[in-house]
Parts: sequence; structure tokens; C-alpha cells
Amino acid sequence: MMIPVDGAKPCSILTRMPRPTAPAGLAPTRRSRFARGARLGVPIFLGYMPVGAAFGLAATAAGFTVAQATACSALVLAGAGQFIGLAALVSSGNLAAALIATGVVNLRYLLFSATMAPHLKGVPRWQQVALAFTLTDETFAVNIADVREGRADRFSMTGVGAVSWIGWTLGTAIGAMAGSALGDPSRWGVEFAMPAMFVALLVGQVTGRRELLAAALAAVTALALSTVLQGQWPVVVAAIVAATVMTAVTE
Amino acid sequence: MNPALAWGLVIGMALSNIVIRLVPIAALSRLELPHVVHRWLSYVPVTVMSAIVATQLLKPGGAWMLRPDNPYLLASVPTAVVFHFTRSFLGATAAGVVSFLALRFLLG
Repeated sequence: MMIPVDGAKPCSILTRMPRPTAPAGLAPTRRSRFARGARLGVPIFLGYMPVGAAFGLAATAAGFTVAQATACSALVLAGAGQFIGLAALVSSGNLAAALIATGVVNLRYLLFSATMAPHLKGVPRWQQVALAFTLTDETFAVNIADVREGRADRFSMTGVGAVSWIGWTLGTAIGAMAGSALGDPSRWGVEFAMPAMFVALLVGQVTGRRELLAAALAAVTALALSTVLQGQWPVVVAAIVAATVMTAVTE
Repeated sequence: MNPALAWGLVIGMALSNIVIRLVPIAALSRLELPHVVHRWLSYVPVTVMSAIVATQLLKPGGAWMLRPDNPYLLASVPTAVVFHFTRSFLGATAAGVVSFLALRFLLG
């Protein structure tokens, strides 16, 4: 369904949305805008199912129950952050180290959230919480593109987020149940699902020469640090060092 | 896995995630991030991903695997190529897992 573009700036479409008092069929209703967002979210749903399943398998392989793995995805919704938190917990057995590792991996959401902020002025606080909760690399990419076309609104964005959340949680539940049923997950090559996802995420992040340089610096630093630091600390420290060096050099 | 550790990770990650994602939306609608912070944050995703990828491909399971027949390293090539051309996480993950299984079978 097309949202009529009334010539206003994208921001004002979001902030001064007509109250849906008009009868259905005459103007886009909350429901039709939500449904449009839900359709935008279908590719994310399809992408999240297998990665969620991979997380479910990884979590049960690490000793999580099906309930714990599914609750993790339902409450956290952070693909890479969940994998890294799980990996850190398994390798170090230290909850604080795991939470710091997942926090650093998720620092990028400060930037995404700050980028979305101007477009979410005047949105009710409960809906800001819902949109923040469903903010991922993929929903951000879809929503910000939709915002730039002047078509996104708070209901379409909620639709994108809801469908993505269902895909991630459902995928995890299926993966966790399969993991408990199938036994040794390494027979299925699942241990490469997580590296494969990170390789794809990395390729998506290398958008220019500076990013390539930052990536090379972080990789070398992480490998060098891995000879002296334990668990996920080489990743955390290398990411911070490389980002700081690149900022200092390019400022 | 100790249930307290597992649930601690779930609850802790849930809290840290919503705080990181909500604070800028809730607060920064008025406030502007300093330019240098913005620049620093823009480098964090690529440096995190690269550090993770480097350690996962060259030290899978924690031990160095600096061999030309490292299946993790070799399978990352089709993964990257598929993602570069399709922009599909699904396709890239599938290509990666299938090549990884094939390589492990071929290389023993």
C-alpha cells in the first residue's frame, strides 16, 4: 500500500501524523501502515530465521536449555551481540566479561539510535521503547532507507520490527529444539554459521578505503593481543584501539 | 551450564541492549553528539567485525590454525563473495556452511 507523499519533509511525516480518525479505506490506517512495514520486514524475517536457528543450536551446544536460548533471543534481539556474549561466557565462564564483550559489540547501536533519533521526535515513549528494542543492523537499514524516501512512519517501523523479532525468536526456538534433538551440531557444519555471519557483516561494513584500513588494523591487533589476553578481550580491546587510532588519524 | 550464569547472561544482555539503543533515541532528539564521538562510533562496527572474523578464522576454538588448508579461512571466501554480490545474509551463511562442510570432507 502506498503512503501518500504530501510533499512534507520526511521528519514531519513522522512527527505530525494525522490521527487515524478517518474511516479505513480513505486514508492509510495504523493497521495498513503496520502491514506495509511488516511486508518490508519479510526479507529480514527470512534472513533471521537461519541465523536465529544457528544461535539456538550454538546456545544448546553451549549448555543452554531451549527455554533459555529462546528467551535470550526474545529479550535481546542482537545477533552478533548474542553470539559474542555466548562465546565469551563459554570461553571465560565469567559473566562480567561476557556482558562487556556484548556491550562493545553493540556500541554501534548508539550510532544507529542517534541517527534514528531526529526521525522519532514526538513519537510516544512506549513506541520509542518498542522501536529501540527492535533496532538491529537490518531494521535500521530498511527503516532509514524508507525514511529517506519519505514513506516511513512509526507504525510501518513497528511492523518492520515486529516481523524481524518473530523471525529471530522463532528461528532460535527451532534451532534450539533441533539442537537438543540432533545431538552433535558439528556434523551439520553449524560451527561455521557464526563465522559466516560475521564475514558477511564485515563485508557489509567495508564501504571504503578508511574502513578497509580500520578492519586490517583491528584484525592484526586482535590476533597479536590474542597471544596475551584471554576470551573475548582481544576483540574488545582491538576494536577500541583501532577505532581510536583511525579517529585520531582522520580527525 | 549453570542456570544462574545462563539467565544472568540473558537478563544482562537484555538490559544492556535496551539501554544502548534507547538512550540516544530518548535523549538525543534534542542533543547533538560531538563530531569526534560520531566519527569514533562510525569506526566501531567495522573494527569489531574484523577483530571477530580474524580470531574466528585463524584461531577457531582458540588454537592457531595457520595452514593453507584451514577450512574456516577457505570457506570465508565463498561466504564473502556471495554476500558481496547478493547482499543476502541467508545466502552467504548457507554458502559458507555448505562450502565449510565440503572443504572439511575434501581436506579430511
